[in-house]
Amino acid sequence: MIRFKAARKRFADGTVAVDDLTLEIPAGQFCVFLGASGAGKSSVLKLVNGMVQPTSGRVEFDGIEVVPRTYREIRPRIAMVHQQFNLVLRSTILRNVLAGALPGTSTTAAMLSLFPAELQQKACRLLERVGLSEKHLYRRAAHLSGGQQQRVAIARAFILDPTLVLADEPVASLDPEISRGILQLLRDASRESGTTVMCSLHQPDLAREFADRIVGLARGKVIFDGLPDQLDEEMIGRIYAGARAARETAEDDGPVALGALTASEAV
Amino acid sequence: MNNDTTTPKPAAEWQLRSVYSTRLFALLAVGAVLLAISAHRSEVDKGLADSGRAIVAVVRGKPESSRVARGWLRFLSHAFPLVIASYEPIENPEEFDPDTLPAFAYRDTKYPIKDTMGDVVRYVDAVVKPIGYLTYVGGLLVQTIEIAIWGTILSVLISIPLAYFGAAGYTPNKFSYNVARAICNMNRAIPELIAALVFAVAYGQGAWAGILALGVHTSGFLGKFFADDIENAAKGPQEALASTGANKLKVLRYAVLPQVMPQFLAYGQYILERNVRSATVLGIVGAGGIGVELNERWKQFDYGHVSTILLAIFITVFILEQIAQRVRARLIGE
Repeated sequence: MIRFKAARKRFADGTVAVDDLTLEIPAGQFCVFLGASGAGKSSVLKLVNGMVQPTSGRVEFDGIEVVPRTYREIRPRIAMVHQQFNLVLRSTILRNVLAGALPGTSTTAAMLSLFPAELQQKACRLLERVGLSEKHLYRRAAHLSGGQQQRVAIARAFILDPTLVLADEPVASLDPEISRGILQLLRDASRESGTTVMCSLHQPDLAREFADRIVGLARGKVIFDGLPDQLDEEMIGRIYAGARAARETAEDDGPVALGALTASEAV
Repeated sequence: MNNDTTTPKPAAEWQLRSVYSTRLFALLAVGAVLLAISAHRSEVDKGLADSGRAIVAVVRGKPESSRVARGWLRFLSHAFPLVIASYEPIENPEEFDPDTLPAFAYRDTKYPIKDTMGDVVRYVDAVVKPIGYLTYVGGLLVQTIEIAIWGTILSVLISIPLAYFGAAGYTPNKFSYNVARAICNMNRAIPELIAALVFAVAYGQGAWAGILALGVHTSGFLGKFFADDIENAAKGPQEALASTGANKLKVLRYAVLPQVMPQFLAYGQYILERNVRSATVLGIVGAGGIGVELNERWKQFDYGHVSTILLAIFITVFILEQIAQRVRARLIGE
């Protein structure tokens, strides 16, 4: 269970990414955060694992407050799936999946790349689950298509049996058909293991198709919270109208999205 | 930011900048004047004039009239043929036993000894080894390469902690960052020739002083290059691993190292190659290897030996480059 209590995030440049957010997400829910670029979706997700620290308010994960002191305890239980996949392109597929298990591996073993056979077998099972085969194991991530890379990233996310997966625009750089496949996989995998998913999207049709619950964000504020059936065209219009206004004043996507952009360019 | 009140200018009225500004011309003029002053101070003008005179003298068929042309002729006329044979004078001809000669060696009772001008001054009774000098130079080159390899190993070992503490994002604090960067700068700033002299005071002349000098000097380069590469590595994968709670060392090993490895190998290869060349020079201050021999032959005006050594060094660097390219291609494996 994730709980936000009046959480607020204001970046140094004055952008308010998350504004007075109070929300509860029960265990096992597939919760989609819908909004355009700059609406604050990414920041909401990153508040949960401390990649973004709240300016005020409180964020709790399974009853533990998310503060620097508790990062070590909570981060291994939270996995992340990124818009730009963030695989190490020069490493093999297997190595990329195993890298997700680093917090559970001793530093000495990690430096020597000595992962237990058990863990390696689990990585294989996960890769099979996401639709990859044995021939991919020792191939470099750079040789995979975008959709396949995201599948590897999902396998990496699930290797430590997380209780929560944060999926930050997981399909934003993929075409619609592949996007459906990825979201389907993410939802099915989380259902099988009872994992909670917080997923940010900017496509209303995908949100309606896969979400248990949709939270509509505009300019850092929740303006919709309900079941997929309750999201009507008027509400979608409001979510995006707010975002347009935000973009015109901020002129860019704010520091969070900008960070993701520079990272993708460097690859 | 949000200037809705002012009407935007039509594109036809937008100001375009000219490619060549007055400022650029002014800067070029100032640069030209400074270079002209410096050319006189550094004797660039004199050197160019001497070279021109030498070319004119050679074209007219009177090279003796130019000092520079005379110098070149003196070196080139004695640099070839290359000296590849060696000889040992026979002290007691009565005790000479032909059966103990090494392979390919033979006895020459009238082996000509030449002076620095190439004229035969006397004949000696000697055992001649046809490629004796070449194999001797080869042995010294191997020694030089060994010094270079150890220098490179030492350099990598020193530069790894320098890179870790000198990379923003991995260094524990600003102080350790500055200290690591300062050590890199200092190591680079001390010329290896001077470093070798200093180490020779402590350890005595020899290979170890040379190894230390090479290792310390080049660790300044490697440390800086490694650190810069770590800082510039793509942030996405690092963030992905850090978000799972992996510590800095693990993130460095799994998200940064695979990205920067090709660059690291390229730097290492370059440092090894330059260390082979530098190790040659270090020999001149007594740090072992081919340089000692080169220095002595040069002082005795044995240009035939000198050209053999220079050619051998060139071939060695060329071969090493080829090997290194292949090893690197194998390791990176695209």
